[in-house]
This record gives sequence, structure tokens and C-alpha cells, in this order.
Amino acid sequence: MTTPGISILQGKYMVTMDLFPQESKEFNQMYPFFDYLKEGRFTTTRCKDCGAEPFPPRLLCPECYATNMEWIDWPTTGTVIDVTEEVVGVPLGFGKPPLIHALIDLQGKRTFFVRIINCQQGELKSGDTVKLAVFDIDPVPQEQGREVVEMPRVFYAFEPAK
Amino acid sequence: MDRNVCIIAGGMSKWGVRDGSQRDFFQEAAKACYEDNPQLNPKDIDGLLVASAYTERTSYQTHLAPLVAEYVGIRPKNICARVELLCASGSSAIILAFALIKSGQADIVMVAGGEKLYTPQKWEVFYSELASVDHDWDGTQGLGLPPPVFAMVAKQHMKQFGTKKEHLGTISVKNRRNSAKNPKAQFQTPVTMEEVMSGRMIVEPLTLYDCCPITDGAAAVILAAEEKAKDLTDKPLVYLRGTGQASVNNMSANMPDWTTWEALKIAAAQAYKKSKVEPKDIDVAMTHDCFTISEIIEMEDLGFCEKGEGGPFVGDGGNDLGGKIPTNTDGGLLGCGHPFGGTGIRQAIEVMKQLRGDAVQQVPNATIGLTHNLSGFIAAHTVLVYGREVA
Ligand SMILES: [Zn+2]
Repeated sequence: MTTPGISILQGKYMVTMDLFPQESKEFNQMYPFFDYLKEGRFTTTRCKDCGAEPFPPRLLCPECYATNMEWIDWPTTGTVIDVTEEVVGVPLGFGKPPLIHALIDLQGKRTFFVRIINCQQGELKSGDTVKLAVFDIDPVPQEQGREVVEMPRVFYAFEPAK
Repeated sequence: MDRNVCIIAGGMSKWGVRDGSQRDFFQEAAKACYEDNPQLNPKDIDGLLVASAYTERTSYQTHLAPLVAEYVGIRPKNICARVELLCASGSSAIILAFALIKSGQADIVMVAGGEKLYTPQKWEVFYSELASVDHDWDGTQGLGLPPPVFAMVAKQHMKQFGTKKEHLGTISVKNRRNSAKNPKAQFQTPVTMEEVMSGRMIVEPLTLYDCCPITDGAAAVILAAEEKAKDLTDKPLVYLRGTGQASVNNMSANMPDWTTWEALKIAAAQAYKKSKVEPKDIDVAMTHDCFTISEIIEMEDLGFCEKGEGGPFVGDGGNDLGGKIPTNTDGGLLGCGHPFGGTGIRQAIEVMKQLRGDAVQQVPNATIGLTHNLSGFIAAHTVLVYGREVA
């Protein structure tokens, strides 16, 4: 299909319109998060100096300002506090309505407001258990020398634990 | 040098689903602003701050302030830059203009804010909203568009405090009734409680009239040092008394509480302290009613009613005309619409008019007014206090 007016962009991948983050080490120093995600692990960084576990993972400890961080595993299951189901206005890239979200307690680490997939409308209730769900997303074409290589990517949501 | 600062002019373009471009709306807003104060020669404006959040996305334009200066016919010599804090870009720019004038860095500063949000195909603006939150961690969960977030807030508030859907409806009815009297507002017709209660479901419990729309438009105000202001207007002087702006988290996982907005309480405490006022002193307020539930929580966290009593407070008319704290007398976001960078400036214009005594729906003898914006994933709050006298 041609795109009238911007035919010069035909076949080009626009990272400036990317729904997901760049996950390669050249573009994101937090790339281990995504490598671990591919193994089904949900991780963040822990400060070796003060023990803080900030999320999102990062280079700089926001509590003691050390840069002495290590990767640690966090729980991959949580308990549903409450659920919302968006029936109108679901943005492009998130499938057909409803777009389901739940506020979940990740075993005391944080309360996360996350997308729930593999779930029917009305199915999920407060008190239910949900588990990490990892899925493939579009790869990014990235220049490596004179070549353009497709960099595979994954992302996560949660799903009912059945 | 520590000078007093006045707001001496304000105007806005028509807001709504508009024909035209971002630069068209900035010219319309400037024209309305100049007409509000014919004594001011725009050539004397020595500073310009432009508030716009999506200019790079939906207008593909950075370096916006010199462009706006060129289009509205001013040649700033002390400051010419853009300020961005999404939905609070406009009020943030007013805070900075205030500081520049107060400190003597500039004398007369225009603050103009606005957006062209509608693109020829609407999916693009919705898609671009994924940049409004932490793009990598919240946007990727489909949380760019705010209805699911505020639906969760409403659910928790209902659960904790017994707030009812009818309480939310009171806000829609009030703000749409007010916007119907504001010719610049996006919505020109009132809605009844029956229409509101039977509105199309968006995210339970929020239905159509609980949500502010997407809006094109712009607004502009002019701030000046008191000694200049005295020469430049015959209207009653309106002072900016004090401000506060706070952020305690950005990503949703770090939100301390979903139904008590910690950053709002901090920003309000700062603004009240610097303005030497208390909540009971405020005569009129423009608060960030992006959703009906927001205005209810804002009544609580700004200190206009007790925590948890926001529902019954608005249900009994506590924040309507004639009530304890008339709120969003020009229609708010629910009635006027919400071109992100323009909203804080629209609020300033309405408070200025209320304190000058020439508002369309005038609150009798209003002498102190407040504006409030929230922005992002309820991640930052901005509070400004204006008055007929200095703090
Ligand atoms: Zn540390």
C-alpha cells in the first residue's frame, strides 16, 4: 500500500512512533531487563549500598545516589486489587475492546497498574491471582555497520493464573 | 529586587474541534488578548513564554516560541522560550513569568499556550498520548489515554468513601451548564442529569460526560510588574500572590495513594503559605476537571471540604455558584475542552475576570481566586493563587 504524500517513508520503520521502548544495548543500558523477560523473569535493579529496589530499573539509586546497582528477581505473580475494562477509546496497538487493566499487589513490592491479556470481559475479580505474561513485539531494524539487522523484542503484561 | 506582579490582559481563541493550525490559533488568542487591553502596545512586551505539549507530535514543530513571537507581532528581548508540563504547561509558564518579573529579569511577559491536537486521522493523537505518561513503562501498558487511570481512581474513591455516580454527574451538569454561557467553550449546550447518567460507557464507572474531550485551541495572558501595570490598565489590578508545584512520583507503580493526591496537598500548602491565605479565603476556583472524579478529589485535597466528603459536598452544591467555593465558572475542562498547553492560561483568564468583576457568571465580591492543574499520571500538581491585593 502506498502512503500518499510521504512515499519517501515507504518501508521505513519510524522509531519516533514506536509504541515500545528500544531494548538493544546500543539504545538502552537497562537491556538486561528485557533479556531476563525473555526467560520469564520479572526483574529490577537493587542498590548494593542501601538496599533500595527502585522500579523502573535504573543506573542511579534514587535513595542514596550510588551507582552500585545489581539485577534482582521480583515476584511474577500478584493479587488483583481492582479491575477496569475500557470499552471505548482503546489506542491503536492494544487490540479490540475491552482493554483490561488491573491494579495488582506484586507481593508487597509495589502496586502495579498493568494490562491484563488472555482474559474475558467480566472474568477477573478483586482477590484473583495474575501472573506475568511475556509476548513478542515487532522487531526494530537497526544499523550495524552497513547492514540493517532486525533486533527481536519482547514485552509483558499479566494474565489470569488458572 | 522583589516586585509585585499583575495579570493585565487575557484572551483565547474559540476552543473545540477546529479548522486551522496551531499557528492560526495562537494568532486568534493573541488578538483576543490584545483586545482585552487596548492600552497595552504589544511592541512593549519584553518576554514570551509559550506553553505547548504536543507541538512536536501533532504539529511537527520544535523551537515554537520564536515562531509564535513572529506570528503575534512581538519582539521579546528578555526571554523567548517554550515550557512543557503536559496539561499544566500553561500554569507552569505563568509561574516562570511571575518569577522573571518579580526578580526584575523582565517587565511585561506574554504567556501563550495551545495545541492543534486533531490530526487528519484521529488515531494519531490517541497514539501520541502514549508519550504523556512514562512511555516505556506505563504507555506500553496502554495507559497513555487517561480514562482507565481515572476510572480506577473513581472506583477506589467510591469503595473507600461511598462516593456515588450521581456525585460525578453533578460535576458534568454544572460544568456543561457553565460552558454553555461561554462562547469560547467547546461545548455550547447543557446536559441534564438523565443524559449524564445514561451516557455511553467508556471505562466503568466513567461514562461519556465524565471525560473531558480532545480540543484544539489557544489562550494568552499578559503579566506585568505592578508599576507598569498601573499605567497599562484602568481595570482593577489583579495580583499573582503565590504558587506551588509538586511532584512526588511519575510512574504509576510509585504512586503513594490513588485517592489522596499527595503532590496536590504539597503544592496547595506551598501556594497557600506564599500567598498568606487559607482554603476558606478562596472565593472562586478553577480546578483540573479532566474527569468528574478529579474535581471531587480536588475539593478535598485543596482543603475546601473534609477528606472523603467530596461527593456529598459537590452533590449539595458546595462548589456551584452560590455555594462555598464556586468552581469552574467558565465550564472547566469538561465544558471548555482541553488543549493541554492552553488550559492553565484559560483558568488564569477566568480568575482574572472574576477578580476584576467582569466575568460572565460573576461570583459577587470575589477578591481571591485559585487555579489548579494536574498533569501526567496524576504525577504533578500546580496551584496558583491570585488576589485583588498583594500577599
Ligand atoms: Zn542506594
